[in-house]
Amino acid sequence: MLQVSNLNAYYGESHVLRDVSVAVNQGEVVVMLGPNGHGKSTLLKSICGLVDRTEGNITYNDRDINGLATEKIVNLGLIYIAENRELFPYMTVLENLKLGAYSKNARAHEKENLERVFKLFPRLVDRKKQFASTMSGGEARMLAVARGLMSNADFLCIDEPSLGLQPSLRLEIFSTIKRINAQGKTVLLVEQNIPQIAEMADRIYVMEEGRISFEGNPDEALNNEHLKEVFLGM
Amino acid sequence: MNLNEDTILWLYEITDVIIAGLSTGSVYALMAVGMTLVYGVTKAFNFAYGDFFNMGGYFAWILIFGLGFQFGGYLGVLVIVMPLMFAVGYGLEKLLIAPLRKRADWENKVMMLTLGLALFLTSLYTVVFGARMKSLPPILDGILEVGQLVFSYQDIMIFVMSLGGIMLFGWLLNTTRLGMAVRAVAQNPIGAKIVGIPRERIFAATFAISTVMVGFGGILLSQKWFINPNSGGTIMVKAWVVTAFGGMGSIRGGLYAAFIIGMLEAFVGWMFGMSYGIIALFVLLLATLAFRPQGLMGKGE
Repeated sequence: MLQVSNLNAYYGESHVLRDVSVAVNQGEVVVMLGPNGHGKSTLLKSICGLVDRTEGNITYNDRDINGLATEKIVNLGLIYIAENRELFPYMTVLENLKLGAYSKNARAHEKENLERVFKLFPRLVDRKKQFASTMSGGEARMLAVARGLMSNADFLCIDEPSLGLQPSLRLEIFSTIKRINAQGKTVLLVEQNIPQIAEMADRIYVMEEGRISFEGNPDEALNNEHLKEVFLGM
Repeated sequence: MNLNEDTILWLYEITDVIIAGLSTGSVYALMAVGMTLVYGVTKAFNFAYGDFFNMGGYFAWILIFGLGFQFGGYLGVLVIVMPLMFAVGYGLEKLLIAPLRKRADWENKVMMLTLGLALFLTSLYTVVFGARMKSLPPILDGILEVGQLVFSYQDIMIFVMSLGGIMLFGWLLNTTRLGMAVRAVAQNPIGAKIVGIPRERIFAATFAISTVMVGFGGILLSQKWFINPNSGGTIMVKAWVVTAFGGMGSIRGGLYAAFIIGMLEAFVGWMFGMSYGIIALFVLLLATLAFRPQGLMGKGE
């Protein structure tokens, strides 16, 4: 479904991604792990057209999307869900969700997606008329994911959804992502931590210093000596 | 209650001054909102703003006196001039400003460019219309008598129409898809990009909407004042003072500020003469910058 090959990405002078190749098949949850600041987020942003300079190939459903404007990529059915949420602070929850359905592809499905999103995140129903800026960290995270779903995307690039959340909320957001996946969405997820996330992943990649250093299934990842060192300091 | 004649006369005058303050204040509000909108969304400043005010006035003048347009009165004029202003704003943004945004430090470059545009438009108006002042006929002639008080229909219409314009703008911004996208870009440009809002198109539309608003203000106030090729500068200064006093980027602050400044100008003009109005504005601006630099409702740093 998504094929990234030999991708290089740059922020100004700094060369962030180095010949990264990643593939995600339809219906999978693929998790990208790695230490902070090693290019995981940059990969997601590159896929969604949010990095100015990217070289290499990114194909989505056999279509080259590298260099396309973000609005076109969103319209094709990919969406980036940001780690720092990037909500519209002085707009209501409902307005934030409606803006999630801005792209042409999403407009026709706005109503059904809204219903679906409210079913997934019942707490957002009570908060409908509240400003996004007044929400707690966990609620804001749910709103960010919900807004992403409003785009009617088939492919979700979710950037560290557990960042800054207490453990119980982390589990909640992971299980929600699992449910979203069960509803047919393909997920490429970035996280820092192995154990919590490993069980929900179909496959795992690890990125270190802008390169893919490991690729395999969760069992292999958990038993890999190098990864134990990287993530658990053992 | 027994009032002597002096008091009655004084009351009449005060009422007159208040009405005048309200009507100019409402047009200032229209202009300040347009200016704040562009600043809030693009974070760049449009120095040609005052000349778009004149452009509205001149377009209406061409229609009414140049072409003898009479169909539908002012409503007909607005139906033609407003889309024209939108097209001019959109076109100029796409043609001149959008290419600059690809460069570093583009906010400052936009300021320089619009400053140049202002000089160009002023000269263009001088060449095309001459330096003589022009004036538009009132929307409605005549006066309204309430008891012994006398109001001119013109002032009332200016007030009503600019308020109508502001409400239309509020509706556009709060309920339409375009308005929501504009607010989204203003509140979080990255978030807007992520959900697939085409920033470039929103910037151009925002610029065009502000051009329409100030052009509308130009049509309204040119009935009361005169347009000449240089008056854009004065208007620019006033719109700027209102915007800074209200708080950069705060639409509500701009609205309050506009009426306060409209009143201030009317009262100072009444007490000391019209030419003191602009001095009062600058005193107010200096006081604002000294004691509350973020303006009435600005968010500060």
